Amino acid sequence: MPTTIKDLMNNPKEALLKGHFACAGCGSALAFRHAIGAIADKAVVVIPACCTSVYQGFGRGVAFDVPTINVAFASSDAVAAGIKHAMDKKGKEAHVIAWAGDGGTADIGIATLIGACDRQDNILHIMYSNNVYSNTGGQRSGDTPIGARTTTTPFGNKTQRKMVPFIMMANNASYVATASVAYIPDLVDKVKKALSYDGFKFIEIDASCPVAWKSDSADSIHVARLAVETGVWPLFEWDSKSNKAVLSKRGSKYRNKENRKPIEEWLNIQGRFKGMSEEEIKNLYADVDRQWTFLEKFLE
Amino acid sequence: MAEEVVMLTGNHSVSEAVKRVKPDVIAAYPITPQTAIIEYLSRVVDSGELDSHFIRVESEHSALAAVAGASWAGARTFTATSSQGLLYMGEWVFWTGYARLPVVMAVVNRCLAPGWSIWVDLQDSMAFRDAGWIQIYNKNNQEVFDTTIQSYKIAESKDIALPVMPCLDGFVLSHTSSKVILSDPEEVYNFVGDYSDPIIEIDTGKPFAYGSIVMPDKYNKDRKDLMEAMERAKAKIKAVNKEFSETFGRSYGNGLIEKYGDDDADLTIVGIGTLADETQQAIDMLTSEGLKVNSVRVRTFRPFPTEDIIDIAKKNHKLLVIDRSVSFGHEGHLQMEIESVLKRNNIDTPVIGKVMGLGGEDVPYTRIAKAARENL
Repeated sequence: MPTTIKDLMNNPKEALLKGHFACAGCGSALAFRHAIGAIADKAVVVIPACCTSVYQGFGRGVAFDVPTINVAFASSDAVAAGIKHAMDKKGKEAHVIAWAGDGGTADIGIATLIGACDRQDNILHIMYSNNVYSNTGGQRSGDTPIGARTTTTPFGNKTQRKMVPFIMMANNASYVATASVAYIPDLVDKVKKALSYDGFKFIEIDASCPVAWKSDSADSIHVARLAVETGVWPLFEWDSKSNKAVLSKRGSKYRNKENRKPIEEWLNIQGRFKGMSEEEIKNLYADVDRQWTFLEKFLE
Repeated sequence: MAEEVVMLTGNHSVSEAVKRVKPDVIAAYPITPQTAIIEYLSRVVDSGELDSHFIRVESEHSALAAVAGASWAGARTFTATSSQGLLYMGEWVFWTGYARLPVVMAVVNRCLAPGWSIWVDLQDSMAFRDAGWIQIYNKNNQEVFDTTIQSYKIAESKDIALPVMPCLDGFVLSHTSSKVILSDPEEVYNFVGDYSDPIIEIDTGKPFAYGSIVMPDKYNKDRKDLMEAMERAKAKIKAVNKEFSETFGRSYGNGLIEKYGDDDADLTIVGIGTLADETQQAIDMLTSEGLKVNSVRVRTFRPFPTEDIIDIAKKNHKLLVIDRSVSFGHEGHLQMEIESVLKRNNIDTPVIGKVMGLGGEDVPYTRIAKAARENL
């Protein structure tokens, strides 16, 4: 049975407690609450440098009710692998999860990520992407979309997004999925499904960041939903056994371009895209097409 | 299986010790001259001879990250590295030390590039003297075997809880065979004990957060605790050395330093690693010439044997310190520490420093003797 909104109230326990420091409208905190909350009785979370290492709070006031290990930037999957091996050796059950941002996954962490994947370490890596180094004030990452103004691309990012889910498919992760904070029950289903697989699992969540995206914090869900509805963020699952991708129910109709809203609707409610040239918009459309073209090869 | 007497390389001596201590998790990445250690261990793990998890990581940075993770989860762990590999894992060397995880990591000393060279000096491990690790430097392959065993007993003591780096000179020890007594596996395991009551562990039913944001007061308290643990480690290393001697009949000075020759010498040669062993031959030669000389081998560079150095400086007349590593813009690391100890304690015994043997340069005892004669 797919998870419903009502089910979200019945998590084993709250993973995210009162007193966290996340900004209003933080997609990462929302995703953490539900993705980890759904499995909180068995979760161990490893967090590299990222917003989550900050908004968890400090000292005895940490607002996470799961074992939480904060680690160096480029190493979450290696630490998670070590923990998982140790717990296996000691006969302890646990879902060990590397919870990292796009910088800690797509950029500085990618060697470690792929290393754990090719060894098929039995862990789940959840990448929450706010498309930017949010924790250090909003610099370009490898997952920054074309045209986005960041503090290190003040006149707009010129480079294509690094599609980590595709990289993980090519490296034969056992399960790969994309998710969005706009569709929390779908996210929870994917986390639970991922954990039913042996070996290395990977999920990327499109996680709104009102600060870096210069969007209204009240629009965090809206902007994430528009990313799906414009085709910017395809929602899918793939596993190595079938080598087939399946579009998620919520996002399947956007396979057909005619059903997609214009990308401008997604751009226009985010200050980070203010002043994009026509050519940049054209390049962004082309980058979105590139992603779908790749994904189509795996769709029925 | 009882005790065996064999011809063994330093690398193989490390592996034989680790096999007897039975770590739960090993993670490692190849680098010369360390590689043979992990090759042997991966073989005994895959053959089923050693019941451990061996993680073949993609870098040294991940090697130490993985064993740190395993150590947080309450596992006994092992890794090994050298030179550039140690530098590459540098972030985790500090992280592991500051987290006070009882990881044991053999460092096969090798100089640093450029240019490419695989031979010994101590520049690699000396670069991490401030990382919160106990560092024990060895003189021969027997000591390598023994120190590796002792390292676990020291690291996993709850009143210490510090990672330990047994250091051995690349090629001079790592690839050179010499006589080693391999103690009975069961006796070795019993000496170290199991690690079923770990310093820290992870249980899903018991949430805690490790390494979150910390304010300066707590941060300073943690570092002060680390300093105090290092201070306590001196007595622990001595006690383990003594207990080891009572169990296996082998000991290394008082555990922190090893003296050679009589007190009241006109010149004391202080060294570290295999150069300090070579020095003993120089002492024999100079003594036979009627000169009043003796030597000291510093076994633990961290914690530094301050009290022993004070004692030696008071009982002798001049110190010649031989370093195999150097702080550019200043002087040799060992000399630096010794001068600081003497100055702090108002001891005016003269100290002369010589840096020798960088990049695997051969240092025969005759050269050490020559340096001694020039300073007598």
